[in-house]
Amino acid sequence: MTGILSRFGASSVLMIWGIVLSYYYLSGRVASYLHPAFRIYTAISAGVLLLLSLALLLTVPSESGKHGLSNIGIFPFLLLTLPLLAATKLSPSNFGATAVMNRGMVDNIADLPGFSPPQDPALPSADGSVKDGTMMDPSLYLKRNAAGYIAAETVDLLYAAGEPAMREDFENKPVEVTGQFLPALSGNPNGDRFNLTRLFVMCCAADARPVAISVQSQPATDLPKMTWVKVRGMATFPVEGGKHMPVIVAESITETDAPEESFLY
Amino acid sequence: MNAPWFSFSMQDFSYAFLSVLLEGVPFILLGTLLSGLIDQFLPARLMTRLLPRNAFAAVCLGGVLGIVFPMCECGIVPVIRRLIAKGLPVSSAVAYMLAAPIVNPITAFSTYAAFRGQGAAEFTALRLGLGFFVAVLAGLAVLNLPIGTVLKKTILESVTLSGPAGDGSPSPQPFRRRLIAAMEAGVRDFLDVMVYFILGVGVASLFSTAVNQELFLPLSLDDRLAIPAMMSLAGILSLCSSSDAFIAATFVAFPAVAKLAFLVFGPMMDFKLAFIYSAVFTRRFVAALAVGLFVIIGLLCLRLAVVLP
Repeated sequence: MTGILSRFGASSVLMIWGIVLSYYYLSGRVASYLHPAFRIYTAISAGVLLLLSLALLLTVPSESGKHGLSNIGIFPFLLLTLPLLAATKLSPSNFGATAVMNRGMVDNIADLPGFSPPQDPALPSADGSVKDGTMMDPSLYLKRNAAGYIAAETVDLLYAAGEPAMREDFENKPVEVTGQFLPALSGNPNGDRFNLTRLFVMCCAADARPVAISVQSQPATDLPKMTWVKVRGMATFPVEGGKHMPVIVAESITETDAPEESFLY
Repeated sequence: MNAPWFSFSMQDFSYAFLSVLLEGVPFILLGTLLSGLIDQFLPARLMTRLLPRNAFAAVCLGGVLGIVFPMCECGIVPVIRRLIAKGLPVSSAVAYMLAAPIVNPITAFSTYAAFRGQGAAEFTALRLGLGFFVAVLAGLAVLNLPIGTVLKKTILESVTLSGPAGDGSPSPQPFRRRLIAAMEAGVRDFLDVMVYFILGVGVASLFSTAVNQELFLPLSLDDRLAIPAMMSLAGILSLCSSSDAFIAATFVAFPAVAKLAFLVFGPMMDFKLAFIYSAVFTRRFVAALAVGLFVIIGLLCLRLAVVLP
């Protein structure tokens, strides 16, 4: 395939990529794949690819371009387009239990990507009070919903387990946490616990690490793996294996839709 | 361990595959656009004039180029392909290609941030220093190889046609015509590299989703096992060099030298990169580079284990 034909083939490949990237960005599906900081590059690339595609069709080939743009035969053409289209069709835009289990659960805050040991906060004022709006003000991160439950993330409780001062803010208080259901394969002596999991991402889903806390429920909960659930209950931090572990003693577990941002960053 | 070491799911595979494609394509596109501009607007004489005559100094300068012109590992291949065609010695190009993803401010900052509280400054300096050293070593090794065993035939022809032997200067065409030619060169590189990138991402996604990564944990107890285990993991995961430090830092069970090996080997060679490199280099050279880097980085890190806890 040379000359005009290869130019048309190259333009088609760029057009397909441009359209697919535009689709991901405009539909919001890109949020299931990339950290917010990287999403804009998808939009920019989509625009550039579409422009290049049109430019190839609308410009007169240069001397070198006349002899064919690329060795783009049928096989490269299919390789450049089919996997992208097939993956777009097949991908559920989230990981299933297999990949999550293969990555191993982060159930200790020290294992969380980007974690650094907490530093002592600034001293309180002379009379011992904490100024509103400072990092020592718990109201900044202990937001309660209308029912009086602290709206927390799995990561918050993991931090609390490893940090005594933060643990006091949560311990024996009602919390509401959303995550995905996975059976607890360890740390489940009475068979009444499951893992509440969220994926923690640095760049894209490929580097996602599952962050898990335990939920204890009576009777034991059994749902399809990776079902999104909203758990309400009491935050506890029993010492297990020589360290504090976050365990929610559940009052209610309800199936729910995936949040708009399914990852934690 | 009860979990199987390999469990494949098509949906997980396609999800990981797409996420790496979406993350990597902008950088490859940037690299190929740059390569098109280099092709048309960078005079070949300029390259040869700026490079030191001393081969060792030229290779070192190749490594330093990574600081001056930082590129990620996905986008750099089309750039060095054009730079080679413009007269950059292959040895300097290899040093630049291997050093650039590590020896750049973004990687330095992310490594420092990821290892806060774990000797971040020393670890960052070690990563950058070792990365530069290994890249220069690899460049020096290439110095002694016949160019025909290193470069693919098509690339070799482009060097012969427009390299130092010929004039290599852009043809005296109007700016608009040269811009069109630059676009065509960029598109050509994009399509060529994307073929290899898609294959590499496919292999990397297969392993990163299907292999049980807890398999590596028992190897953390011995440096001699931990270092190759972490380098193998870097090869499997095929992470971006701007974020890999955050992942490496989480392998708390592994010794620091093993994490260092992960962070130096990963940006230089992984499943995805092995395929992308094949767009420019012979398969034999890519295989030798992979083995050489694995052995050299492994040995150096093992040696560093004496001083690094």
